[in-house]
Parts: sequence; C-alpha cells; structure tokens
Amino acid sequence: MSMEEALQTFFAESHELLQEMEDRLLAIPALAEEDRSETINAIFRAAHTIKGSAGLFGLDGIVEFTHVLESVLDKVRAGQLMMDADMVSLFLDCKDHVARLVELQESGATLSTDDQGKGNELVARLSVYLTDTPQAAVAPAGEASHPAPAHPTDSLALESLGGNVLDNDNWHISIEFGTDVLRNGMDPLSIFRYLGTMGHIVRVVSFFDRLPALSELDPESCYMSYVLNFHSEADKATIESAFEFVQEDCKINILPPHSRVADFVEAIKNLKQDDLRIGEMLVKSGTLTQRELDAVLAYQTAQEQGDSASQDPHKRPLGEMVVQAGIVQPEVVEAALHKQIQQKKAKSRQQQSIRVDAEKLDTLINLIGELVIAGAGVNIVAHRSGQTDMLEAASTLSRLVEEVRDSALNLRMVQIGETFNRFQRVVHDVAKDLGKEIELEITGGDTELDKTVVEKIGDPLTHLVRNSIDHGIEPADIRAARGKPAQGKVRLNAYHDSGSIIIEVQDDGGGLNRDKILAKAIEKGLVEPGIDLPDSEVYQLIFEAGFSTADKVSNISGRGVGMDVVRRNIEALRGNIEIDSQYMAGTTIRIRLPLTLAIIDGFQVKVGNAHYVIPLDMVIECVDLPEENINDGHDSNYFSLRGEVLPYMRLRESFEVTGETGKRESVVIVKYGNTRAGLVVDALLGEFQTVIKPLGKLFERLRGIGGSTILGTGEVALILDIPGLVQQMIRKSHHETSRASVKE
Amino acid sequence: MSSLVKVEQKGPAAAVALPEESQYLTFLLGGDMFAIGILNIKEIIEYGHLTSVPMMPEFIRGVINLRGRVVPVVDLRSRFGKPSSEVTKRTCIVIIEVQVEGSADEDPVTQDIGVIVDSVSEVLEIAAQDIEPPPAFGAHIRTDFIRGMGKVNGEFVIILSVENVLSVEEMAMLEKAAEVVAA
Repeated sequence: MSMEEALQTFFAESHELLQEMEDRLLAIPALAEEDRSETINAIFRAAHTIKGSAGLFGLDGIVEFTHVLESVLDKVRAGQLMMDADMVSLFLDCKDHVARLVELQESGATLSTDDQGKGNELVARLSVYLTDTPQAAVAPAGEASHPAPAHPTDSLALESLGGNVLDNDNWHISIEFGTDVLRNGMDPLSIFRYLGTMGHIVRVVSFFDRLPALSELDPESCYMSYVLNFHSEADKATIESAFEFVQEDCKINILPPHSRVADFVEAIKNLKQDDLRIGEMLVKSGTLTQRELDAVLAYQTAQEQGDSASQDPHKRPLGEMVVQAGIVQPEVVEAALHKQIQQKKAKSRQQQSIRVDAEKLDTLINLIGELVIAGAGVNIVAHRSGQTDMLEAASTLSRLVEEVRDSALNLRMVQIGETFNRFQRVVHDVAKDLGKEIELEITGGDTELDKTVVEKIGDPLTHLVRNSIDHGIEPADIRAARGKPAQGKVRLNAYHDSGSIIIEVQDDGGGLNRDKILAKAIEKGLVEPGIDLPDSEVYQLIFEAGFSTADKVSNISGRGVGMDVVRRNIEALRGNIEIDSQYMAGTTIRIRLPLTLAIIDGFQVKVGNAHYVIPLDMVIECVDLPEENINDGHDSNYFSLRGEVLPYMRLRESFEVTGETGKRESVVIVKYGNTRAGLVVDALLGEFQTVIKPLGKLFERLRGIGGSTILGTGEVALILDIPGLVQQMIRKSHHETSRASVKE
Repeated sequence: MSSLVKVEQKGPAAAVALPEESQYLTFLLGGDMFAIGILNIKEIIEYGHLTSVPMMPEFIRGVINLRGRVVPVVDLRSRFGKPSSEVTKRTCIVIIEVQVEGSADEDPVTQDIGVIVDSVSEVLEIAAQDIEPPPAFGAHIRTDFIRGMGKVNGEFVIILSVENVLSVEEMAMLEKAAEVVAA
C-alpha cells in the first residue's frame, strides 16, 4: 500500500467513523443515563481513531482539533460531565468541522479563515467543559507528567492487582517490525513520533539481529526491532492505537507500568524468541533490572518444570498456567478470552464485505448488458436452426446469463437504511431551528434498491422531510388545541410493491388544505374555476413550479430544491410521486421508483412493423380485444373486463402508425400505481430480457417512450413508458371532456 | 433577424479559423452538393434497420443500432424543410459527433447523430480563400445552417454548420413544441 492509498483509506474510514459518531450522538438523548456508556465509548473511539490516524499522516490540524474534542469526550466517558442536549449539538458541530477538515485535506485545499474561525469557536466552546472542573483538567498530550494515570481503566486496574509487581512506572513496548512495513508505506519513525505526542519516550533500544549480510540485504525491507521505555498517562488501548496500521505484520507487546513478572513471561512466550535475548532487551531498555530479570527467568523455568511434571501431553495454555499459579483470577482470563472471540468475530465480519470501485461495477454491468443482448441473438439463431441440442444449449446459456445478470444487479443494490438514518440529523437540526419537537420513525430500512437511485433520492427526500416538519407539523400550541401529542412525528418508510420500491414520507401534522390549494390554483390560472377535481389531482398541484400556499416563507423549506424540482428528480428516475392527505390529520407522500435503472424484464409487442417493449412487472394480463370494440369509432375507448370498466388506448393511433391492422388485436393490461389501462397492440411476442439504452438528450422531453433496447436481431426496440402513456391518456381525456363542457 | 446578423459576423471569422479544417466530405442531397468538415464525421454506414420513434418531429427519422449503441437519425432534407428523398441503393447514414451543452452543472458531452444523405461523393480539400461567406438569401435553407460556400472546380458547395443543423437543444425544443400543439 502506498502512502497515497493509505491516505485514501484514511479519508474513507474517517467519513465512516464520523458518520458513526453522528448516528451515536443522535441516539444519545433517547438512551437512559445508565445505558449510554457503550455509545459514549463508541463516540470516543471514533474521535480517537481519527486523531490517531491523522497523527500518522502528520495532519496536525485534524490532530489538534480532535484532541480537544477527545479530551471533553474523555471526561464524559469518565462520568465527570453529563451529556446534555447542548453538548450533543456541540459535538455534532464538532463532527461537522472534523468532516470539513478531512474534506479539505482530501481536496488538497487550505483552510479558509471562515473554517478557522469556526474551529476556534468550537475549541473555545469545548474548553469551557475542560476548565469547569479544574481538579480533573486533562493535560494536553505530549506534556503529560502526572505520576499516575488520570483515568485508569478497569482492565489496567485489574492488571495491577496481585502478582509480583515490578518497580517500574513506565510502559514497556517491544516491537518487531514486519519486513514489509516499509513497503506498505509505514515508517516506524512516524509511529514513534506519534507516540511522542502521547507521552515521553524515555529510552529506545534498537536491535539489529535480523539484519542479514549486506549481499542479502533488501533496502526496501525492514529488519528492525525496538524496545521502548515510554512514560505516558494514556491507557493501553490508546498506546496500542499508535500501532494500528502496522499491527498485522508486526509483533508488538505493550506492558503497562507496574506489571507483574508473569506478564513479562507472557511477553517472552508470545514473542517466541530466545528468552535470553528478550531478557537482555528488557534490561537494556531499562524496564527491568538484572535482579528482576533473574526472577522472571526463574519463574519461567519453574513453570516449565511444572508442565513436564504434570505429564500433560497437551501443553497447557498460558492463561491456565497463570491462573493455577494464583496470579490472575479466572474471571479475568475469561474476560480476556471473551474479548478475543469478539475481536475475531468483528474481523470476520469485516472481511465479508469488499470495497469495490463503483466504476468497475458499472463496467461489469455494462458488459453483462451486452451479454444479455448477445444471448438473445444466440437464442434466435438456435430457434432458426431447429437443432434440438443447439436449442437446449442455448436455453441453458440464457438461464445462466439471467442468473449472472440478477446477481450482478444485486451487487449494485444497497439498503436504504443508511440514507434514512441521515435524516436523524436533518430532523434534529430542522426541529431545533424551528423550536418544534419531532420524532423520526424509520421503518423498512432494509429495503434494497439500486445505488444510483439511492444517490439521487437523497435531495428530494431531504426537501420532503423539511417540508413535513416546517409546513406539515403544527406548532406545539396548535397541536395541543387539536388534541395531538406535543411531539410531532415524521415517519420514513420503504417497501417493495409490484416491481417498484415505495418510499413514504409521513407526518401527523396539519395535512394539506384542499380548498386553499384549489383557490390558489384558480388564482394562478392553473385550473379553470368550476371544475371538480379529485383530491389526488388537487394535491398534485403543489408540484407545479412557483406554487406555494404558505403565508410566510421560512428559511427551512425555502432552501434547496422546490417541489417542482422534487417531482422532476423523481421523474428522471422513472418514478412518480403521490400525495395522500387528511386535513388536520397528516400527510403521506409516496414516491414510487423502479428497482433498477439498467436491465428490466420486458414484454415484447408489435405495432405495425415496430417492436415495443413494456416493462414486464407492469403487465397484468393479455386479452383479445372484444369483437364489438374492433371496428367501433373512437367514441368509447373502454370495454368490460370481467365486469370492470377498463379504459384502453390504441398504440397504433397514439403513435400514428399507418398500414393495415392485423386480423386480431390484443390488449395488454398494464397497472401503474392504482391505475389500470389497456394498450391495444397488433401482436404479442412474449417475454424478453431488456437492457435499457438511454435515448439521449434529443428524446428527453418525449413522454410515453422511456428508453430503447437492442433486440437479438440487432434491431432497436423502444421501451414504453407506461406512467407517461397513462398520464397522457388521462390528460387527453380531460382535455376532451373539458373542451366538450366548454362547447355546451 | 438576429440570427442573420450573427452569421454575417461569423462568416469572416470562420474563414480565418478554417485552415485547421480544410478537408470536407461532400455529399448529394436532393441534387444539391453539400459538405461537412471531416473532423466531425465518425463513420459512414449503409442505410437500413431504422426504427422510427413515434411522437417526434418528422425530421427525426428514428434510431439505429450502431454496435450496441442507440443513435438517432436525422433526415437532412426534412430538417431543411423539404420533402424527404426516396431511399435508394446509394442512400447512406453519416454518423456525426456533435457537442451537447449540458445544463449548468454538467460538463458538455458529445452525442452521435446520424444524418441521411442521398449519396456521399468524396473528401475534398477546400482552401480557406476558396470559401465565401453564406449568401443572405437564395440558398433555400436557413442561413444559420450554412457556414460558408466553398468553390470547387468553379461550382459552389454548401458547407454546413454542423452545430446549428444538428443542434440537439433546438431539435429537442421543436419536439416539445410539437407536443404542446398536440396536447
């Protein structure tokens, strides 16, 4: 790993950690006092890891800021400070600032004076907490000189219990660097330098015994081992974190001050090195005196003899040995073992996911798209050849291609939960700005959808959520008067429904005022007075550009995108948006989106000479056009489907296809949302895997055609945009009826 | 009128800039000889396998499959407001790369567009001094479609301004206009 790559990893990890920090911070207020420690620890760890990693890369700005943040967090962790709502907000601001610092580093930009001012202000606000309780003032790193650790952790306290405590108040760190450390972009020096920020390195002893003869020496390999005598107030985990990046290929041993002899034995055992040499190292580095070393060695020899005396064919684990020797209580060993297992589990979980460049994934999906087209071509040739074995082989192939396609598309699928969780912050901030109390409820976070869709849904959703809080949820006094709980509720929900994903933004606020919207629409000339519109269409009016019924403009919903942009964004994703509202009771905004943008199952039909594809998940059934409708005029465009009225449109007419109709016309019945409609076509050609090819800018205003695809024959077929067609049909009939009513 | 003025200004400037693009593909369209700078041309293919796209203005004849990509095809004759010519054995589709100006937050992208021509003739060198500014009228097509009049063997060929003839923005707008009329 080169330095540049390592840095990229740092940026990616920092963003993740900051996200985690935010999530946890937002979770704090809901937790009972006694349940917070785990969460606070996690927040502390996140800040700490960022600081540690930033230190490795010499990003001093980040280290300095996170250090102050960490100090305050440390006091919270130690129970000296209470985390209240103000502090959560402060920490959130700090998190934002760290994110900003990391971003600046990422883009190579320098800190603007604004950012600097912000940083200074935050540091000042943080410092208030640090000076409030003078007896526990946390010394800045690097200058620590207190004789005892300020906040001894439980494990450290336990470690110092019992046993032969050595007379030593410095940490003992032995590290044997792996040969690849330098190649991996890690410099032992920078690690020591970072260690220096946590305390004082009393002595460093270098060992060169791994150094080969000059002829065999590889200048890119690291052969060094060191033993450090380190004075610091930091706890073990903190010191350990300095070695985080090299942990894997290095042998590291960190012994706390006042360690027991047994610990040194363990250290010796773990390093599996020549006892004498380690002993020598310990003496040299000043950790042990010669007398103490003798004691350690004697202890070890005694242990070994004990081992052989018991004639146990299996060598007993060291832990057991130590327990039997009465040095450590069994619980401590158990705890240590438990921790080990947990760490292992966490590690295997980490390995289950791989970071992949999104571009590589796109290339794969594109190639699979081509494969699907080529597969369809093979199928056609096979059918034409009429050879049974060829047909069989082709069908096996296409089944496999289908599976490959599905799993490739699955790679792009991500859960919407992460996007939803971001709204905790949005709700928190907006609610605070407006002085409202809002609870955000998230359901269906595990619903999966295409990554591209997820990326593009963020902005429109933010707008809708802000709107719900600002315009939807009433101020507390009005809520009380209406008999609602003072705390408003916004709900985000996602679920799958007939090949689409539905995302709902729901609030229990005042609902839309139908009459007010209608009056405004009439005033704006969007609707002719006297026409009775169904509720759903009245609500759709709020998506018109420049449409607002708000009496006053607030900075919350004025920011960002307007409702017309929301609708446009959703439609660009081939989705649509519906509103359900009950005056005084709340509003539900329902966004319907396709699952994926790349490949769909299609149903191929023919009109005239042209082939069209209808997305299969919108097709309900196909029926023959009833006789009496075949040669009727254009007056009634509906027929009875098992007693229900089904409106239909002739694609031949809508698309102005000339030429004779076939003997028999078929109706494809499609469903979109709650609308069902029939499309009259000349011939039904069956299912077909469809790779969506965009039609390009030239056709972007075209409604009714959603894209194109290439058939196995190499011919281009157009994909019908059912929502577009259905809307067109509705608009057309409205137009005709309104024209008719005007004539009357 | 404004477009006319713009072209008159453009004429001499274009003539100065021309040396870098002195090779032109000439083709026949309804008996007239036209030329397009070869730098914009990607390839010339045989006419065929055209899929028409409904609800589009007449000059957008449809789309073709160009090795896995879907490329729109424009009928130049109807783009010039004349009846389209009959498809013959010599009818070709010339694939031209045009710049599409993205909206404010997008980078400009290129898009391939095919144009139908009656037959392609040859690639000619036309020196800058042999190119005259377009006539104010008399060419029977919109003046902003003409970049200049090239003199070849004592005859004029119309050098087309690809940006204007195949302006994606304009063509997409026309389609919208058609939709509004239909609605």
